[in-house]
Amino acid sequence: MTGPRLPMVDPQSYGAVCAVIDGCLTCGDVAVPVTVIEAGDPDAICQDDHGQRGTVGIELVAPVEAGQRLLIHGGVAIARLDVSA
Amino acid sequence: MRFVDEFRNADLARGLAAQIAALAEPGRHYKIMEVCGGHTHTIYKHGIEDHLPDTVELVHGPGCPVCVIPMGRVDDGIAVAKRPGVIFTCFGDMMRVPGGDGSLLDAKAQGADVRFVYSPLDALKIARNNPDREVVFFAIGFETTAPSTALTLMRAKAERIKNFSVICNHVTIVPPLRALLESPDLRLDGFIGPGHVSTVVGCRPYEFIPKDHGQPVVTAGFEPLDLLQSIFMIMKQLAEGRSEVENQYSRVVPWEGNLKALEVLAEVFELRPYFEWRGLGFISQSALRLSDAYADWDAELRFEMPGVRVADPKACQCGEVLKGVIKPWECKVFGTACTPETPIGTCMVSSEGACAAYYNFGRFARSKERAGA
Repeated sequence: MTGPRLPMVDPQSYGAVCAVIDGCLTCGDVAVPVTVIEAGDPDAICQDDHGQRGTVGIELVAPVEAGQRLLIHGGVAIARLDVSA
Repeated sequence: MRFVDEFRNADLARGLAAQIAALAEPGRHYKIMEVCGGHTHTIYKHGIEDHLPDTVELVHGPGCPVCVIPMGRVDDGIAVAKRPGVIFTCFGDMMRVPGGDGSLLDAKAQGADVRFVYSPLDALKIARNNPDREVVFFAIGFETTAPSTALTLMRAKAERIKNFSVICNHVTIVPPLRALLESPDLRLDGFIGPGHVSTVVGCRPYEFIPKDHGQPVVTAGFEPLDLLQSIFMIMKQLAEGRSEVENQYSRVVPWEGNLKALEVLAEVFELRPYFEWRGLGFISQSALRLSDAYADWDAELRFEMPGVRVADPKACQCGEVLKGVIKPWECKVFGTACTPETPIGTCMVSSEGACAAYYNFGRFARSKERAGA
């Protein structure tokens, strides 16, 4: 076998939300599209496209309503997704 | 999957690649910089470079927030993390960034209470649940991430949570772009502008690039077709002799940005007179610190830190990689002494770092290319 072997990063030590193959979800310029399930103030319950639910701070895009698509980064919604665009 | 599949259509990608090739002027070499680490990741992961003509070269920029953190700031964080009674929190990638004497992960192995969080709001929750401990959040990131730290601090202030503080390493995107444009060893033809940073700051801050330097900027999304279309838009501007800021990522990026987020940033932060960037050196007014109104939550005022500037390891060429002067594989330690498992330089730590992205996705294609040659 030639060349360096594939990286085997221990998810426990690397961070459960950071997979080296799929990109850094937290600290980079990566954001995740989610759908609002239950609007609240200042947090809303949102669901990503894989079905995972979490609490998201929505102050920067408020007001929001159930069904709306948002872009979240670091647990905070930074934009509304414009579906028509 | 909605918002994904339609941006990965192979036929459309081939069509765009052909249009890019048609726009390339014979005998001219094009250098286009993707500023953002997320774009670097997409380029390698989807093999975008393989679909471009040989004369169109993508240069990887300084837009990975982990990669630009100097070693001295990591050491400052570790010094605080090792203090008794401190719960030190940071994002996952930051745990592995080597400082002068180990990483935060090493500090954790030695007994420091270091925890990774998905959001600074989670760090605040830890503070709420541990009133007898000092909870410190090591904040990194560009304008995409700074609003989440700002909101967290606003909530801490509103709730009067006193056992929470932030080491602020937030940086801003425009000053390093200015520094790169003024760098004599780098000639570029255009920029693929950052996507989610622009969600917050909008497209207006990039207007100085075409105006003062005559180069096109296209703000781009993160899917393969987004990047190919952005490269096409840059090539079209160059072919038509235009230089403007254009927005390819209009489904997410408003031209004016997120005004509420900008308001929040202005309240919580102020510009530092200067800040050290790994590989780029000290750049004036390129980073944020907490404003006077939030001084009570500023860990740099609360804790004593070494504040020592630490030189990068001699073998490490992250600086040249970050400036786009060399490609990752041209670094002497790439893939041998420096791998994602045992990174020497920060570019190998984060998956958005050019070296890690290339190591994971590009090196096999390159070894095939070399074998063919």
